Amino acid sequence: MLNSKLGIFGLLSDAGPVVLFVLSVLLSFSIVSWAIIAFKIGYIRKSLNESKAFLDYFFEIYNVDKAFTESENFRKGSLPRVFRAGYIEYRALGEKTDIRQAKARIARAVKREVNAESKRLSSLVPFLATVGNTAPFIGLFGTVWGIMTSFHNIGTSQSASLAAVAPGISEALIATAAGLAAAIPAVIAYNYFTQQISIIDRDLEEFSPEFVSAFINEP
Amino acid sequence: MKKGQKLIDAEKNFSLWLVVAAVSHALLLFIAMYLQILDAGKHAKPKLLSVSLVSLPGTGGFNELAEKQGGTKTISTPSNVTSHPPVNKKIVKVKAPIPVPEKALVQKKKIVIEPLQPKVVEKPADISKALERIKLNVEKKTTPSQPSTASNLNDALAQLQKKVKSQGEMTGVGNGGGRGSSSTGRSSTGKGYGGGGPSAPYKAGIASIIMQNWEFSKLLLKNSYGMQVYVRINILANGTISQIVFDKRAPSEYLNNSVKKALEKSSPLPVLPKEEGASDIWIGFVFTPEGIEK
Repeated sequence: MLNSKLGIFGLLSDAGPVVLFVLSVLLSFSIVSWAIIAFKIGYIRKSLNESKAFLDYFFEIYNVDKAFTESENFRKGSLPRVFRAGYIEYRALGEKTDIRQAKARIARAVKREVNAESKRLSSLVPFLATVGNTAPFIGLFGTVWGIMTSFHNIGTSQSASLAAVAPGISEALIATAAGLAAAIPAVIAYNYFTQQISIIDRDLEEFSPEFVSAFINEP
Repeated sequence: MKKGQKLIDAEKNFSLWLVVAAVSHALLLFIAMYLQILDAGKHAKPKLLSVSLVSLPGTGGFNELAEKQGGTKTISTPSNVTSHPPVNKKIVKVKAPIPVPEKALVQKKKIVIEPLQPKVVEKPADISKALERIKLNVEKKTTPSQPSTASNLNDALAQLQKKVKSQGEMTGVGNGGGRGSSSTGRSSTGKGYGGGGPSAPYKAGIASIIMQNWEFSKLLLKNSYGMQVYVRINILANGTISQIVFDKRAPSEYLNNSVKKALEKSSPLPVLPKEEGASDIWIGFVFTPEGIEK
């Protein structure tokens, strides 16, 4: 089906099993990476936008009940989620609970939600780092293996002409190219996501005490 | 319970993106493949070059020179077949430095650049012009120059004559020369000697066939410069090459093998002409890579 005129696809038809395996691994890495990128980019962007909108609303009215009602519209934001967790804990407290105890319980609930939210935000992102770090090496492995095979074939055929050497090396280099193609977007996305997640984390760390004090000081 | 539901939703969402990524990768690969097919289609037709095989370095010159030296007959590639009647039964192999016209060199380079070119197109008008030019060049260069080369050649030819006579198989007299470019773009030179007479066109024809089947890499020209392979072949009436005898082997086994392969590849040759009347015929050839690079 693929003849030699079809460039890299023609070369792939002659590739060895190890090179093909490496390429299939890199292809799956690339697919998963792009899925994570697409999934996370929407998730983090929504979280950032909704958090920002909720904070604006919260500082505008400074009423926990209204803020809680409004937070229902920001279900994907990290800060509204933390606020809701604190509010639920605050409402669960009985009338007899003293302020110090109530504050500690609300702070604990908020902290727990902050941690959960951090985990949720950073889930799957380390895979991008893994791809970014390992894909070039996997590709390099495929290339080294392909060149080894190529040289072995050259030795067997007893011909050292460029026509005998070049196709094998060209075929082997596809693995490195595939490794880089998988790694480059993964690294870019990883850096972008870590930066965005650190912004959200900082917001969570800074505004969690504000929520706690808002519950305690509620008139 | 709610968190579990959220997790399931997130997983579903991620699975959806996974499918989308897989589909987009497949789509990308198909597009790349399609573009390559499209690109390959654009470059599929190689540029046709009009190349005339006028670089037969000795065809005209050899003829005249040989006739002057005692009457010989030239067998060359079909494009330059000259059917002079045989004068005597001497086999004279004249080897002289053969000037290659610039035009011919340029044409050869073109052949190397376009290895996909299946056939070399000949131009009769160019041939006649080039032949005239070659004749003039050869006449100019061969008459006073290089007596030592000529004496060496005469020695070699005398040896060949002895061998051929001892075989008693040579029926005609002649000398031929030719240079051709194979379809693979490799250039080589071959010279044939053998019987003349009514079978001259036949010999020219088989010289051409062998020339076409001779694949000799230009890469080894440096090593094999000045090498010669004297070879005789026995052709049966049905055209089959029954025997290949190397009268003189070249130091390069590659050249020897290439000649042997060319002869084996050429078998069976066309059926012997009726005028020949014999059940088989011996024809000698001299293969040399000379004259390609100067």
